[in-house]
Amino acid sequence: MRAIARWIRADLRVSTGQALAVVAVVAGVVTALLLSAGLLQGATNPWQGLFTATKGAQIWMHLTPGAGASGLRSEVAGIQTVAGPYRATAATLIQPGQRTRVELQAMPPVVPPSDYRPLRTSGRWLESGDVMGVVLESTFAQAVHATVGETLPLYNVDGTVRLRVRVIGLAETSEQGFYPDQTPGLIWVLPSLLHRIEPDLGHTEQLVGLRIANPDATVPAVQEVVAQLGSSAVGTVSTWQQVEQSMARRDPLLGLLLALFGLVALGAAILAIVNVTSGRVLVQHAELGMLQTLGFTPTQVMVMLTAEHAILTGAGVVVGLVAARLLTPLLLGRVPGVSAAAATVPGGWALVILGGTLAAVVLATAVPAWRAGRMWPVAAVRAVPPRGHLSRLATTAMAARMPPAMVLGARAAFVRRITAALTIGGLAIPMLMITIGLGFWATLDDVQQHPADIGLAASLTVAPGTLPLSQVDQLISDDPDVRAAYSGVKAVALAPGPGSTITTLGMGTSDRPYPFPVVQGHLYHAPEEAVATQALLNAFRVKVGQFVRMYFGGVPVIFHIVGRIIDSQYGGEVLAYGRDTLTYEGAPAPIGFYSVVLRPGVRPAAAAARLLRASGNRLDVAVVANPADQLGIVHAALAALIVVLALIALTSLLTASRVGIRDHQRDVQVLRAMGLTPLQVRTAVVVRTTVLALVAVTLGAVVGRASSSSLISIVSQVYGLGAGLGRPASASTIAAAMALAVGGAALAVALTTRSQDRIPATVALGP
Amino acid sequence: MRMPLLALLAKEPAHGYELKVQLEQIFGEAYPSPNIGQIYVTLQRLERDGLVCSQDVVQTTRPNKRVYELTEPGREALLRWMDKPSEGPRVRDDFFMKLVLSQLTGTSDRLGLINRQRRHYLGQMRNLSALATATDRRIPRLLIEGAMLHLQADLDWLQRCQEELV
Amino acid sequence: MITGGERLLLRAASLTKVFRGDGVPVPAVRSVDLALLPGEFVAVTGPSGSGKSTLLHMLGGLEPPTSGEIWLDGRRVDGLSQARWAVLRRRHIGFVFQFFNLVSNMTVADNVELAALMGGATRKQARARRTELLSELGLTGKADAAPSRLSGGEQQRVALARAMANRPSLLLADEPTGNLDSASSGAVLRLLSRAHAEGQAILLVTHDARVASSADRVISLFDGTIVDDATMPPAHPHLPLPDVLKLRG
Repeated sequence: MRAIARWIRADLRVSTGQALAVVAVVAGVVTALLLSAGLLQGATNPWQGLFTATKGAQIWMHLTPGAGASGLRSEVAGIQTVAGPYRATAATLIQPGQRTRVELQAMPPVVPPSDYRPLRTSGRWLESGDVMGVVLESTFAQAVHATVGETLPLYNVDGTVRLRVRVIGLAETSEQGFYPDQTPGLIWVLPSLLHRIEPDLGHTEQLVGLRIANPDATVPAVQEVVAQLGSSAVGTVSTWQQVEQSMARRDPLLGLLLALFGLVALGAAILAIVNVTSGRVLVQHAELGMLQTLGFTPTQVMVMLTAEHAILTGAGVVVGLVAARLLTPLLLGRVPGVSAAAATVPGGWALVILGGTLAAVVLATAVPAWRAGRMWPVAAVRAVPPRGHLSRLATTAMAARMPPAMVLGARAAFVRRITAALTIGGLAIPMLMITIGLGFWATLDDVQQHPADIGLAASLTVAPGTLPLSQVDQLISDDPDVRAAYSGVKAVALAPGPGSTITTLGMGTSDRPYPFPVVQGHLYHAPEEAVATQALLNAFRVKVGQFVRMYFGGVPVIFHIVGRIIDSQYGGEVLAYGRDTLTYEGAPAPIGFYSVVLRPGVRPAAAAARLLRASGNRLDVAVVANPADQLGIVHAALAALIVVLALIALTSLLTASRVGIRDHQRDVQVLRAMGLTPLQVRTAVVVRTTVLALVAVTLGAVVGRASSSSLISIVSQVYGLGAGLGRPASASTIAAAMALAVGGAALAVALTTRSQDRIPATVALGP
Repeated sequence: MRMPLLALLAKEPAHGYELKVQLEQIFGEAYPSPNIGQIYVTLQRLERDGLVCSQDVVQTTRPNKRVYELTEPGREALLRWMDKPSEGPRVRDDFFMKLVLSQLTGTSDRLGLINRQRRHYLGQMRNLSALATATDRRIPRLLIEGAMLHLQADLDWLQRCQEELV
Repeated sequence: MITGGERLLLRAASLTKVFRGDGVPVPAVRSVDLALLPGEFVAVTGPSGSGKSTLLHMLGGLEPPTSGEIWLDGRRVDGLSQARWAVLRRRHIGFVFQFFNLVSNMTVADNVELAALMGGATRKQARARRTELLSELGLTGKADAAPSRLSGGEQQRVALARAMANRPSLLLADEPTGNLDSASSGAVLRLLSRAHAEGQAILLVTHDARVASSADRVISLFDGTIVDDATMPPAHPHLPLPDVLKLRG
């Protein structure tokens, strides 16, 4: 036992570089996997985490001020607890160039632990002395670039009351989906502050959250409450399914991406470790034979090798765990729409990842280790490459006076079949993933530059604020940067199926519909024609061409769905139609806002500021957030992943080159005798490994490019954005990546071959 | 015995007992201590062959002793012996004597001695090789191979002598 | 002895090699003069450490001399670059080592063919030469084997084939039988003799007296200098045998 430990120590001391490489590779993969799992968790199911963390409610309702909310629990069956009622009112936040509608919710400073309370993520929660202190909802704060400690001008709806409030903290909630998918932004304040903004109770609402015994029975519960309080008392109702759906909208794209990446990275890492291990075993053959001669049994040899690599992997796993712990709040907290609180990896998953990695590596080591132990000592000492042939191709090339170094190097690459295959695999898979990653990068760039493709034709949303509509219209059309403006209205409809309300959009008119990007069918051209996103179609289980019925304030409207669109501005489930479809007493629904399309090249922030100034600060102008802008972290994540993949690939490469060099050592002098210069001999070694790299890189790039667009399409389809979004990386980018990879490989190998100008000392050793 | 005595006398005349002492000093334990009687017999034979001549020296306190001296023919015989490669059943002994005693004889070209012997051995090896290829019967070949192995050993020893004594 | 006027195949003048390790410089070859006629067979013997292998490596361009001149076929070669030496070796020199004479990752026959190709033969010529050499050596059955599968003697025979595949004007060999038993040594020696009989110039280093004695000249090297340069007399298989062979009785 001690002998084994001593050998392991000595061996690690000798090959420290390789050992560190194994540790680094494993750590990188484990970190990536844990981060992906965390992201996946935080992204796919943020609602669940938040619901638990905030002690939330499954149903949230805005009730009129006079409704008898307090009596709900005792009188309505199935309700466990009632959160609130909390007073809520609308207000306006004005920042330079931006004017946003917000909802103030009055929360008590001290909340019993069992009650609902938003989850603090930054700064602190409200305290009784905080006269001017407010807590912003995290995603809203991100969207409007508000930070803790900042002072913001808060206005009431009329603009008559103005308060300078200080942001003392940020928090997350399960009550509403992420901003800006679900508006307005939420700000929590002390009741005193809310009173100062809006003293008139009549202009406030009551917010109640209902926790029900049976989470699936939201419909009956809502119906009961409506029956209890009267339908006129109930404003908006939102159920947990809606919120979950809203939260889980586009972020899974990210999470799934990274999860996929992580898994394949694990596969690549395992391959790399297999390469490293079998390569080390090959190189150590002579030494292992000697160990057996000294008296180590085959089992002991196997145990030694496996133990050594298990130790290295264990170290890598620990490092990866620590790194993931440190990086999770740093990285994941920045991703919009991902709840950092919910982004912790559940213990079970973590164990699976860590255990799985360890097991995979041990297995990957055990096979070559077992084979090493089984070899008879003499065979071990005499490990030579298998029998190869000088192929017809090679002889023709040599006869054609091609450089002998190239020919010999290239043919030597494929002498050891299995090793060559493993090396190619170990290099091709990372290249594949890098190519797909570059495709994602290209798609993101595309989305950033052509927001119209994902439904963001309009860069600004302008609401009348305190100006009359005619003036608003005038202001907008007068602005030189405006290319087109579409009037719009949000109408809340009751959907019979899910039993909840959805916000529908009347955008433009049937004659002049808003230019949604249509992927199937066409835009609405007549009243009661509508287009919908994939998510809505899924939710209502309808297809393009079919009909769906909604209730607007009790009035049913039957829409004919004529087209499927991509949208990323208004939340996953979107139903859009011409404003003239909705009529109130014969007149089309009043305009709620304008979606303004700017001329190309105009910066939205500048245009927004100008409009705001022109209106004397009386317009509500908001810049439409391009989700791609917020995904800056993705670029960083992709870059980091590419680095990890490159590291994995490099490990495989260096191992392959080491095996090649060792095989070559024996041949150096005879090749020199046959008339190759030392430089040519070295070149042959470099060529050998570079050829493998070239094959692998080409394979990976080709397959990667072919599959990246379909992969992105699949993912975006599943998550309601529809197909057609994906764009593979440009040919020049891929070519550059390939050139870099192969060039880097050649350089790495060239640097590791030592000068062999003299006849090597191997001459003195036996055959 | 004959040639070593001639070599010793080449340095200076001596009588029998002195020669015995010198032999013992030079060769040490490697050779059995020479018998004084044998020495005298050999000296007498040498004198009879004309290679040495002797003289009685009168001593006052002791019995007279016979001092021997190298003659011209003796010197020539010695030189001939030195120049000719050693051969025969006592080849090693013979050569070793030459090598060790070469300084005394005034022909202190030990290297040349070794070279000559080596050339001789190589020539013999060459002859044996030719003989081996000429016959294809097993038993003679085996004998020839034995001789070759001996020659190889002799040549290796020659190398050692060169390393040590040149 | 070589007399002036004949066109020499190989000539070395004052060839010296000093190895500078860490600290003490080691003179391996001291000012050696050597000459070889076309078709001559010269053996270099000496104890280990006498500089024989270093001398051979210098003559084959595998080791640069510290000083001195080397002339190959009338052309001065000691100052040649690695690249020029490599080309020279491809076409004019064959080199046999004691070990590691064959490229390990191709078959025995391919080794021979590769040498022929590098020597400038066409594919057909290379293939023909390989078949010819292998059958001459009696190795046709093992042609498709990996070098590691052959015994030492077989490997050295193949090595000779490999070294002669490009029809070199000079064959250099470093202890070609050093590792072999007497039977294998004999086989290798027969090959060398046959090549020599066909006009191949050979310079080899050996401690095997039998091999040395089959040469035309035997040069003895000691401590980096030549101590003897003996021309071998023609062999007489019928000369009286050494006394050891005389049977008693």
